[in-house]
Amino acid sequence: MDTIIEPREPRTQPAGVEPGYPQTEWRWPSQPLQRRPHTRSELSGPQQVLRRLKPVRGDLAGYGEKRAIGQLIHLRTRIVDEDGAPVSGAAVEIWHCNAAGKYIHPNDTHDAPVDPNFYGAARMIAGETGLIELRTIKPGAYPTAGEDRWWRPPHVHFSVWGKVWLSRLVTQMFFPGEPLNEHDAVLNAVRDPGARSRCIARLLPGSEGPDNALVYEYQLVVRGRRAAPGMP
Amino acid sequence: MNRLIPTAEMTLGPFFPREFGQGANDLTPARGEVIEISGSVIQLDGKRLDNVILEIWQADAQGRFDNPEFVGWGRAATDANGKYSFKTIRPGAPAGRAPHINLLILYSGLMRQLQTVMFFENGADPVLDAVQPVALRERLIAKKRGNAYVFDIRLRGEGETPFFGD
Repeated sequence: MDTIIEPREPRTQPAGVEPGYPQTEWRWPSQPLQRRPHTRSELSGPQQVLRRLKPVRGDLAGYGEKRAIGQLIHLRTRIVDEDGAPVSGAAVEIWHCNAAGKYIHPNDTHDAPVDPNFYGAARMIAGETGLIELRTIKPGAYPTAGEDRWWRPPHVHFSVWGKVWLSRLVTQMFFPGEPLNEHDAVLNAVRDPGARSRCIARLLPGSEGPDNALVYEYQLVVRGRRAAPGMP
Repeated sequence: MNRLIPTAEMTLGPFFPREFGQGANDLTPARGEVIEISGSVIQLDGKRLDNVILEIWQADAQGRFDNPEFVGWGRAATDANGKYSFKTIRPGAPAGRAPHINLLILYSGLMRQLQTVMFFENGADPVLDAVQPVALRERLIAKKRGNAYVFDIRLRGEGETPFFGD
């Protein structure tokens, strides 16, 4: 087997139950997670997810009369493994709310305007260098529903398939300089400050393209590294 | 070589696009015995949850994970009654393993993905045998009803499903 998955440093991941996020106490297991040996089953994975899931749009912003409201951004995300090697061909799902903080989803009851020109979901394949480029608008902040509500800072959801089953990654990306980042129960569930800061994209100086989009760079590290030769 | 630290996982949230949850829960046609797997995902108070995303990864009927003819991956979402279902084929036994289906669960309020495994019968398997205490192992065995298998997942509380941390 050429990929190995090693245990993670707990402080670089959310613990599970999170004070300030009541649903976590209803859903996260009360018992410690079981340890298991890794076999071919866990260390293989679908190489062609897109045979089941069709690609969906690579541009969420639109043009002209169909242009979505909001600051235009180019979101440039690189998918790498723990060795820093690009995961070429990785399938990636991206979704986020509109500039007013409204999702295209029947469960979003927040009273904010829908943008008829904004859809908000894309499914793409990383190129040879592990790069995913998405043209979209910067999402807005919005209040959560239910008890203990708080305002979510602007964020973008990612779902990524790495090389093996155990490298599946579902996460959220944040924007730099947002005052709400400091108070967000999701981002701050990651206790390690370095790990938290790596969940925040980097704004590049200037702008690019004919429509002067702002450019954000981001890196997603999926689990897994190459086994050294001679290892089982 | 410098090792990068894997990105922190975060919750799927309540607004995973509906269309992303649809249309990927049928792994057939494929060579093998066609089966249905269904069940509910249940939280602490016994509520069966709506719009939970479940993904599976399994071998083909010969126990192989690298069959180019068979994509052993699928995704289902629970419906308004809290039920999910997959149509697939019964996997063969991979080398050193009993037949099984890997499952991961993504949901609002789950800060990380939850991983579990469904087995067809209680037999020797290095992953099943790793579950402690022993009495919990039977919770990973699906209930057979004809060609259908029922596998309920209790996230927390009484009858809690064993989950794996890797």
